[in-house]
Amino acid sequence: MTAWLIANIAPLMFVTLVITLLIGFPVAFSLAAVGIFWAIVGIELGLLQPTLIQALPDRVWGVMSNDTLLCVPFFTFMGLILERSGMAEDLLDTIGQLFGPLRGGLAYAVIFVGALLAATTGVVAASVISMGLISLPIMLRYGYDRRLAAGVIAASGTLAQIIPPSLVLIIMADQLGKSVGDMYAGAFIPGIILAFLYAAYTMGVTIFKPQWAPALPLEARSLREPNGKSGIVSVGVLVALSAAAAVAYGKIYLKDSPLDETIVISTCVGTAVAFVAAVINKVLKLGLLSRIAERATFVMIPPLALIFLVLGTIFLGVATPTEGGAMGATGALIMALARGRLTWKLLRQAMDTTAKLSTFVVFILIGARVFSLTFYGVNGHVWVEHLLTSLPGGQLGFLIVVNILIFVLAFFLDFFELSFIVVPLIGPVAEKLGIDLIWFGVLLGVNMQTSFMHPPFGFALFYLRSVAPAKQYLDKLTNKLTDPVTTGQIYWGAVPFVLIQIVMIGLVILFPQMVMVYKSTDSTVDPSKVQIQLPPSESGAPAGGSQPGQPETTQQMEEDDKRGNEDAQSLEDAFKSTPAPAPGVPPPPK
Amino acid sequence: MNALLALSRAIDGVTERIGRTVYWLVLAVVLISAANATIRKAFNYSSNAYLEIQWYLFSVIFLVGAGYVLLHNAHVRIDIISGRLSARAQNWIDVFGIVFFLFPMAFVIMKLSWPLFMDAYTRNEVSTNAGGLVVWPARLLVPIGFFLLIVQGISELIKRIGFLMGRAPNALAKAHGKTAEEELAEEIALQRARDEQGSRP
Repeated sequence: MTAWLIANIAPLMFVTLVITLLIGFPVAFSLAAVGIFWAIVGIELGLLQPTLIQALPDRVWGVMSNDTLLCVPFFTFMGLILERSGMAEDLLDTIGQLFGPLRGGLAYAVIFVGALLAATTGVVAASVISMGLISLPIMLRYGYDRRLAAGVIAASGTLAQIIPPSLVLIIMADQLGKSVGDMYAGAFIPGIILAFLYAAYTMGVTIFKPQWAPALPLEARSLREPNGKSGIVSVGVLVALSAAAAVAYGKIYLKDSPLDETIVISTCVGTAVAFVAAVINKVLKLGLLSRIAERATFVMIPPLALIFLVLGTIFLGVATPTEGGAMGATGALIMALARGRLTWKLLRQAMDTTAKLSTFVVFILIGARVFSLTFYGVNGHVWVEHLLTSLPGGQLGFLIVVNILIFVLAFFLDFFELSFIVVPLIGPVAEKLGIDLIWFGVLLGVNMQTSFMHPPFGFALFYLRSVAPAKQYLDKLTNKLTDPVTTGQIYWGAVPFVLIQIVMIGLVILFPQMVMVYKSTDSTVDPSKVQIQLPPSESGAPAGGSQPGQPETTQQMEEDDKRGNEDAQSLEDAFKSTPAPAPGVPPPPK
Repeated sequence: MNALLALSRAIDGVTERIGRTVYWLVLAVVLISAANATIRKAFNYSSNAYLEIQWYLFSVIFLVGAGYVLLHNAHVRIDIISGRLSARAQNWIDVFGIVFFLFPMAFVIMKLSWPLFMDAYTRNEVSTNAGGLVVWPARLLVPIGFFLLIVQGISELIKRIGFLMGRAPNALAKAHGKTAEEELAEEIALQRARDEQGSRP
C-alpha cells in the first residue's frame, strides 16, 4: 500500500485536486488545503523533507513581493472608472454615424470600437453592455439580422481579452516567467488580425446576405451638414492628411528606430495633426471640416490618449507595465472627473470591486503556489511532462492537444483558474519542446478568449442577454413594434465567431511570425526598469526555513519551479526581470 | 445558537468595516505608483521605498481584505455541480469546506509565518534594496491576514449551521443588491433616455 502510494502520489494528488475543486468550495482554499494535506502525507511517507512545509510562508511572500501583480488592481480600477466615464457611449454613437452609411457599417463600428476599448483596457462585461444598450437597438431598428448583431457585439466585447493591455496576458506572462512587455508586443498583431477577421466575416455577410446588414437610411444620420450632405469627404481628407503626416514623420525622423517605437510616435503625430486641425476649425469657425469629421476627431482623442498613456509608454520603454497601469488608471480618473462623471459613489464602488477582484485573484495564485510546492516536491511536474511529451507529433501534436484541452476546460474554468493551475503545468513542457513561450502564451490567450463566447456558458453572451430586449417593445423613434432578441439567436449568432476564433488559433500556430515580432522590439520594456526588483533575501527564514540548494531570491525560486533546474534559462529570465545594475540609474539612451 | 449568531453578526460588522477601510488603499497605490513613475521620468529621482510601499499596500489589500471578500462570498468557486444542488447541500459543502479546507490551511500558514515576522522584528530587518523599507510590517501582514480569514470563517460557519438548523437566513443566497454590471446597464439606459428626450422637442 505504502509503496503504491509513493509510486502514484502525483496522479493521486491531481485527482484529489480535481475532486475538491468540483465540489464547489472556493478554489483558492481548496488548492492550498490539498497542497498542505499531501505535503503532510508525503512527509509521513518519508518521501518529502519535513522542511518542505517550512517553505510555505516563502510562497506567500513571493506572491506579495511580485510587483507584476500590481497590474491586476491597476488595470481593473482603470477599466471600472472608464466604463462609467461615458467614453464608450460617445464612441459608439459617433463611429456608428461615421460607418453607418456603409452596408454593414454598424457592425464595423462595433468591431472598431470594441478593438479601441480593448486597447484602453477594456472589460468584457462593460464593452458588451455598452454595445448591447447603444448599438443593438439601432441595429434592430434598421433591420439587422438578430444573430449577426448579437454575435458581432459579443465577439467584439471579448477582444478586450486578447488586445493588450489585458489581464490575461499579464498573468500569462507572469506564469510563464516572461516579460509582460514582450507578451503585449507579441499579442498585438494577432489581436488586430482577429478584429479584421470579424470585419471580414461581416463583409462576407453583406455580400451574400445584404438584407442582414443594411446601411443606415438618410434620416438616421444625425451628424449631417446643414445643407444635407454627409460630410464624409471631409473625413476622408482629414484621415489622409493625418496619415500622410504620420508616415512622413516616420520615414524622415524615425528611420532607425525599432518598429514599435516608430508606430507609436507616428500615430501620435498623425493624431496631433487631426486634433490641431479640428481645434482650429472649431475655434475659428472656419467651417472647413464637416460636423462629423470634427466630432469623430474629438471622440477619438480620449481613447487614443489613454492608449498612448498605457500601451504607448510601455512600447516606448518609458514605463513598466505596472507603471503604465497606474498612469492609465490616473488618466481615467482625470478623464471621468473632467466629464463630470466621477462621483464618490462611483469611486467607492470601483475601489471595492477592484479590491475584491484582486484579492480573489491573488488568493487563487497563493493557493496554486502552495499546491505546486508539494506537487513539484513529489515530482508531479515530471509526471505531467512525461504524459505530454509522449504525445505523437512533437511540437504540433503537443500544441493541438493542449489547445483542445484548454478549449474544453474553458467551458468550466475561468481564465484565472486556467492560468494559475493549468499553465504552470504545461508551460515547462512547452519550453522543453522548444516552443517559444510568448508564442505559446498568446496562443492560449486567443484560446481562452473563446471561453467568453461559447454557448451556453460564455460570459459575453450572458451579459448581452441581460441587456438585449427580451420582450417585444415599441421603438420610440419609429413607433414600430420590434421583436425581442431570443436567447437562441444570441447563441447561434456567437457560433460563427467561435469558428473564427478556432481559425485564428490555427493561424497563430501556422504563422508564429505574427507573434515573433516581439523579438524585433527587444530593446523596449525591460531596460527601463530602473529599480532593483529583488525581494529581500530569504536569510531571515528560521532554521530549516530554507531548503538545501534553495536559490537566493524568490524570483529565481519561482523560475526554478517552472522549469526544473535549467540554470541557464533561469538566469536569463532572472536577468530579464531584474536587469538594472543599480537604483536610480536612468534608462540607457536609445 | 443565539449567542453564536450574535457573535457572527459582530464579526461581520468588524470585517465589513475593515474591508471598507482597506479598499481606499487601491486609490492610494494607484496615485503613488503614477506619481512615482512621473517623478522618476521628470526629475530622474526615485527611491526603492516608493516601489516597496506599493506592494506593501497591495499586500494589505488582499491579505487584510481576504476576510471581507469571504464575507461577500466573492472568492471564486467552480459551481457547475454545486450550482445545481439545493440550498441545504450548498451549505453543507461550505460547512465541510470551512472545517476541512479553510481552517487547516489558514492555520498552517498563519502559524508558519509568525516566526518569520518575529525574526524580522527582533533583528529589525531592513529590505536589502538600497533605501528600502523595514521588513517586519510586511511580514506581519501574513499572520494577520490569515487570522482574519479564520475569524471570518468562524462567522461563516455559524451562519451556514444556523441556516441548516433553520435559525438563520441562507447567507449564500443573499443578493447583495445589484451587481456592478446591472448598475452600469441601468446608468447607460438612463443616460440614453435622457439624451433621446433632449433631442426631441
